[in-house]
Amino acid sequence: MTTATNLRSVPLAKRFLSFTWIVIGLVVLAMVAFVFVQPSIVVDTLVTGGMWALMAGGLALVFGVMNIPNFAHGEFFMIGSLVAFTVFTPIQNWMLENPDAALVQVVGPFPGMVVAAIVGFGCGVLMEGLLFRPLRKRSRDQWVMNTFLLTAGVSVVLVNGNRLLFGNDFRGITRYWDVKPIEILGVPISVDRAMVFVIAMVTLAVFAVFLQRTRTGRSMRAVSQDETGAQMAGIGLNRVFMLTMGLSCALAALAGAALLFMFPSFPDVGVQPLYLAWYVVILAGLGNVQGAIVGAFIVAFLQTLAVYYVGLGWVDVLPTGFIILILLFKPSGLFGSEVKGVWEQ
Amino acid sequence: MLQLTGIEAGYDLLQVLWGVDLHVQEGEFVALLGPNGAGKTTTLRTIAGFLPPHGGSLTFRGQSLIGVPPHKVSTIGVGYVSENLNLFPAMSVYENLLVGAHTVKDKAHIETTINLVFELFPRLFERRNQLAGTLSGGERKMLAIGRGLMPSPSLLLVDEPSLGLAPMATLTAFEALKQLHERGVTILLVEQNVNSTLHLVDRAYVLEQGRIVLEGTGQELLGNTHVQEAYLGI
Amino acid sequence: MSTERATPVADTNQSRPRARRTTAIASVALLVFAVVLPFIPPFTGQDYQRWLVGAALMAAMAVAFDFTAGYINIVNFGFAAFVGVGAYTSGLLAANLGISPWIGMVAGGVSAGFIGLLTGMLTLRLRGIYAAVMTWFVGLALMGLARNMTEITRGSLGLNVPLLLDTSDNLPYYYVILGLLVITLGVLTAVTRSDLGLAFRAIGQNLQAAKASGINPTLFLVVNFTLSCAFAGVLGGFYAHYYGILTPDVMLTSHTVEVLAVAYIGGRGTLWGPAIIAFPLTIGVELLRTQFANLPGLHLVLYGIVLILVMVYWPTGFAGLVRWVRDWFERRREGGRAAPAQAQPGA
Repeated sequence: MTTATNLRSVPLAKRFLSFTWIVIGLVVLAMVAFVFVQPSIVVDTLVTGGMWALMAGGLALVFGVMNIPNFAHGEFFMIGSLVAFTVFTPIQNWMLENPDAALVQVVGPFPGMVVAAIVGFGCGVLMEGLLFRPLRKRSRDQWVMNTFLLTAGVSVVLVNGNRLLFGNDFRGITRYWDVKPIEILGVPISVDRAMVFVIAMVTLAVFAVFLQRTRTGRSMRAVSQDETGAQMAGIGLNRVFMLTMGLSCALAALAGAALLFMFPSFPDVGVQPLYLAWYVVILAGLGNVQGAIVGAFIVAFLQTLAVYYVGLGWVDVLPTGFIILILLFKPSGLFGSEVKGVWEQ
Repeated sequence: MLQLTGIEAGYDLLQVLWGVDLHVQEGEFVALLGPNGAGKTTTLRTIAGFLPPHGGSLTFRGQSLIGVPPHKVSTIGVGYVSENLNLFPAMSVYENLLVGAHTVKDKAHIETTINLVFELFPRLFERRNQLAGTLSGGERKMLAIGRGLMPSPSLLLVDEPSLGLAPMATLTAFEALKQLHERGVTILLVEQNVNSTLHLVDRAYVLEQGRIVLEGTGQELLGNTHVQEAYLGI
Repeated sequence: MSTERATPVADTNQSRPRARRTTAIASVALLVFAVVLPFIPPFTGQDYQRWLVGAALMAAMAVAFDFTAGYINIVNFGFAAFVGVGAYTSGLLAANLGISPWIGMVAGGVSAGFIGLLTGMLTLRLRGIYAAVMTWFVGLALMGLARNMTEITRGSLGLNVPLLLDTSDNLPYYYVILGLLVITLGVLTAVTRSDLGLAFRAIGQNLQAAKASGINPTLFLVVNFTLSCAFAGVLGGFYAHYYGILTPDVMLTSHTVEVLAVAYIGGRGTLWGPAIIAFPLTIGVELLRTQFANLPGLHLVLYGIVLILVMVYWPTGFAGLVRWVRDWFERRREGGRAAPAQAQPGA
């Protein structure tokens, strides 16, 4: 059962004293404090958080609607970065030769991202149709673990397929926009990184509106809450599944594309985004999309702290420890999972 | 309108229905009665497309429903209100109804139908922004029926509306169904509450151990000795 | 809709004397075959013998992995990290303190088992996907530690480890690891046949019912997990003293996925399935890798595709195939009267 629904009937004071809110409160307080002490931490958190929000949001969506823990999610990041590189490189060459064409200089990076998202969407749809649908037809027993392992297989195929077709080379760009860094809160930040945040927030906002306000988005939420009820209302499950999978992979691909300047395209580039997305989703609660977006910023905060105060190598160890702690006290995650019967599996 | 002939259905290795024959005419109010485990829910699930039968024929307005997936059955005009209700707990009452109207294209028509549902169930209107997971048992039944009505079905299958309800709420549920019937909705009702049901419906069937054992009008069955002994405690 | 049991039902055939004899004969035959294999061309070549060592190692790891995944239904996604813990323990003891690798391997088993114990206690509250992800995170944390504690582990630069045997010939190593495989398979199979094993399967199949029957799931869960990790640690020790050089990459998740693939393709919940299938799989993959060296990654792509096909269409894997064939013969013998003891895979 969803904790979100139970919150409504709980008195306001008690609701805010819950473990979750205390954690969130502490994080927000810390961030506010840092604005005055060390603003770069806040800025870094926001930018990094935006990145992970895109990844984690897609992962949470697929788990919530289809009950699939996607171990290959990072590979769609990889696909996105590869597509973006392929599309952007010729554009970049043109941009270099025509530095005065202001319009192209501004919108140049976007086609790569858009195409990446579309390709990601297509791959997601393919995966659902070719792999998950036949599995669903055969048996829904042990669905969660079976699909997890199935996606592990997909991950192997995609990573090594990339290696096979495109080799081990790093395909990167130095930057998307050839502009001087801007200043936020007195902290210099490259336009590319700032744009990632903007792209992530805009995309997620559009996505949120889509989920909440449109008929199709509502049907996806319905399927995530009760498949039988959705069918009774005339919603075809297969179509929703394809759309969900496609959207999830499109978001991951978009993240990969937007981050090309930071994460060059190579076969294993999806490894870190994968486990970071999983950190966020486990921390927030499996299947909880809004929670995942908030959780992304919390994990980004922890990462930024780790890098500043401990060292670059420990960037992942601190969040891991934090999440293990959270799981000990609240196994369903900070915001509660909205999954169907995951405990029995 | 709805015709089942010789339906054989079951789950995996367990067969539940052994040659069920029943029919429902347009505009009728028919009940399917019987003890627990007789197969009443299985029958409804088969009609609604959730459980393909392995034998027999199943037609709705002459069109076979066998092999038709549940969401298509809903589009054809057969509404189904399940025993578990299958509501969307994290959506509001209003949203649940909206989702129910998924197959309806005309926005104005949706609004009209929602108003109709609120007329039928004023309590739902009061709680229209409340999350479905927080409603009481009776309110949830009302919402389930209301959601089932959103695509304006010609035939409504209702599974045990009185289950788990206090007498007052049961009355409301039955009242609502009666009103619906008067407005022209054909209803096939599965119930355990035999007495109230038989006073309400045109005809009824009694299903025992996967077979139809009795058929007749409400009055006829009320007077039937077997029904009286087994179900009315007389 | 068909049902696939959480773990395959205990092979009830084993209660019949004739079936037991067949199994015993088959086991001995397979073992003899494995022992003489290095003398049959093309397995006489050093390349092939190196692959045989790798195959036997993979077989043993897959058995240890299946002991958890197939019986208590928890997929240890950090498995490679436990192997790594054993490897580093044994390697460091030998390199820094001059301790004999044989003792080191046992020490590796102890340390990995200890961390497995702690991890098991962590995951005991969680089920299914949460437990798998938790073990994955623990594995990632362990790898992170190995990477960062460079003063001790030398991180990605690599740790030089004294070899197990004073020879560069692969053959003796093969017999050592084959022996380890036999021990691992033997001990773990014996455990599964015991009351302990029954409890494992009960927990794996239906936690509530097991609790109601008076089984304390926490105890058994932890025991199983610890055992599996302990064996992983010993095998890690072998790994270190065979390859002679150790980096944190040994703990990569992709290595866990390889072991997992072997376990599932071999037939989850059987132990012998993964043990047998590891050989053709590993040799096949190595052959592909060398034959098509100009197509990097091809062998792994095919590997992944096989795993996917098994998961979607034939979940009982190789062991399921063997059982199906045997049941087919049973039916023929009994003139088509008896029904097979299990549901047909993929039905």
